[in-house]
Amino acid sequence: MNQNQNNTQELVELIKDTFEKTDFPKLTWTTNKYNNMYAWLRLENVSDLTKAAEVLQGLHARLCTVSAYTEDRSIEAKRRAIAYHFAIKSVLLCVTIQIYDKETLEPLEVPSITPYFRNADWNEREFMEMYNIKIINHPNPKRLFLDESLDAGIMTQLIPFSSMVHGTGSKDLWEQVMLEKIGHVPASFQEQCKEPSFTKVEETAKEAPKPQTEEKE
Amino acid sequence: METKQPLEQKSFSLPLGPIHVALEEPMYFKLDLEGEKVKHVDITSGHVHRGMESIATKRNFFQNVVLTERVCSLCSNSHPLTYCMVIENLAGIEVSKRAQALRIMAEEIKRVASHLFNVAILTHVVGYKSLFMHMMEVREIMQDVKETIYGNRMNISANCIGGVKYSINLELLDFIEKSIARTEKHIKEIIDIFRTDKMLLRRTTNVGYISAEDVIKYGLVGPVARGSNVNIDTRRDAPYLIYDELDFDVITETGCDVHSRAMVRLRETLESIKIIKQLIRNMPEEGELHVLLPHIPAGEAMARSEAPRGELFYYVHTDGTDMPLRLKWRVPSYMNWEGLGVMMKDCEVADVALIVNSIDPCVSCTER
Repeated sequence: MNQNQNNTQELVELIKDTFEKTDFPKLTWTTNKYNNMYAWLRLENVSDLTKAAEVLQGLHARLCTVSAYTEDRSIEAKRRAIAYHFAIKSVLLCVTIQIYDKETLEPLEVPSITPYFRNADWNEREFMEMYNIKIINHPNPKRLFLDESLDAGIMTQLIPFSSMVHGTGSKDLWEQVMLEKIGHVPASFQEQCKEPSFTKVEETAKEAPKPQTEEKE
Repeated sequence: METKQPLEQKSFSLPLGPIHVALEEPMYFKLDLEGEKVKHVDITSGHVHRGMESIATKRNFFQNVVLTERVCSLCSNSHPLTYCMVIENLAGIEVSKRAQALRIMAEEIKRVASHLFNVAILTHVVGYKSLFMHMMEVREIMQDVKETIYGNRMNISANCIGGVKYSINLELLDFIEKSIARTEKHIKEIIDIFRTDKMLLRRTTNVGYISAEDVIKYGLVGPVARGSNVNIDTRRDAPYLIYDELDFDVITETGCDVHSRAMVRLRETLESIKIIKQLIRNMPEEGELHVLLPHIPAGEAMARSEAPRGELFYYVHTDGTDMPLRLKWRVPSYMNWEGLGVMMKDCEVADVALIVNSIDPCVSCTER
């Protein structure tokens, strides 16, 4: 074991000890082929985010970036989550929160972590406009990339040009247009789709090796 | 009767960009001035936002290698490399030592060319035309290397998931060795000019100051951080590929200004050349160049590398299909833009273009 690995091992122990003293769920650890360590934390409540930010600030973590995403590919895509990525020297730690009510799927507001991590500013502004996520107490909540005249989250409502010109997308595209315009896909259209020109080629499942990434407690 | 107010007492706003002769890519700056001193800077971006992360979720894992190479031309090797690494982390794919060495070879050749380009633009901005022409000629040696080895000057298409798409023989290694020897000699002369030339020193020292504390506060990365004596480099701090088997120094400077950031870049090119020399001497001969078409399971993974401008971060979330549910990348420039507000505080308006260039900004990368 070289000096770098020794230092990482000590750091991992420190992170584990720190999080064990909190009420957060247990960290999950993974590694890669270069022995880099990755920690994963899933918070149950949105309100825990600022507490986690405080703990990470105490560990001198650096915010690498923030990834907002939808948990499924459906058109409504109401199930949204945010992954906050931190670097604590050689270790990367990902804190994920789901930002919807589990029963109603209504979106939840998210507290800003810019008071803890100054560089969260741009990241939060970006997902505010791209995903229409509401942020509480952002110090500078103006647009980052999109013009003020555009609605927040408009990019998710539009049909991308690439989908339109993509040959395989024609059936999906028109289904999406009908769902957005009239709320359902008419039976007559579904009948038409059974014609050979609309038939999708089913992908054959490929036999593949299982992932070798180790998972540690 | 209206009396004329001296210029140094006047407060006014000056728009700069988005299209401006001193900016390589479109970005809009609203500068609040008092006389010729900048008091506040407001950045407006979004002119080249292309929605690439959204496109990535509609392409399969293998198509995305091609897509990520087109995020930006100067970091065009770092993007597919880090993308491949994040997919390999997720699927547990092992890359052979030979492929790892070839990946580093491509990465360091690109770093030398990228750093030389940025510092050459600095000399252009300060009006040192003869040095600008000379530096671009030196960079041309590395462009020739890329064209000879990879068949292209910018998008070199070296990476694939599980390895590399190119190999290298003794004749090509010999060509690289001779080319970097020529480059090294010129770079040492250029470093001497940067250390001693009075005009360059007057224009670049104590300009665009940012302290180590502010670098940490804003999370700045790469040569911008190292120019303020913040000793971070992903190649050493979280080693990937075979970087931990190579001998190289992480370069830092203490001036915290435009000159220090340029010196970090110039000195780093010599470290990259040192790495390339080691690879030429010890290129692993055994090992597959790449793996067969792998299956990518459902899950999530992170990866990072040290691109020419600093730490490049990738995150992928998959659902078992052949397309990512989410692919996010954060480029070093994204972090470094906010440092400009600190660097430009109370600077002369004539230094704005110089300070912007000193963070080696990439708008295409930032906006995606």
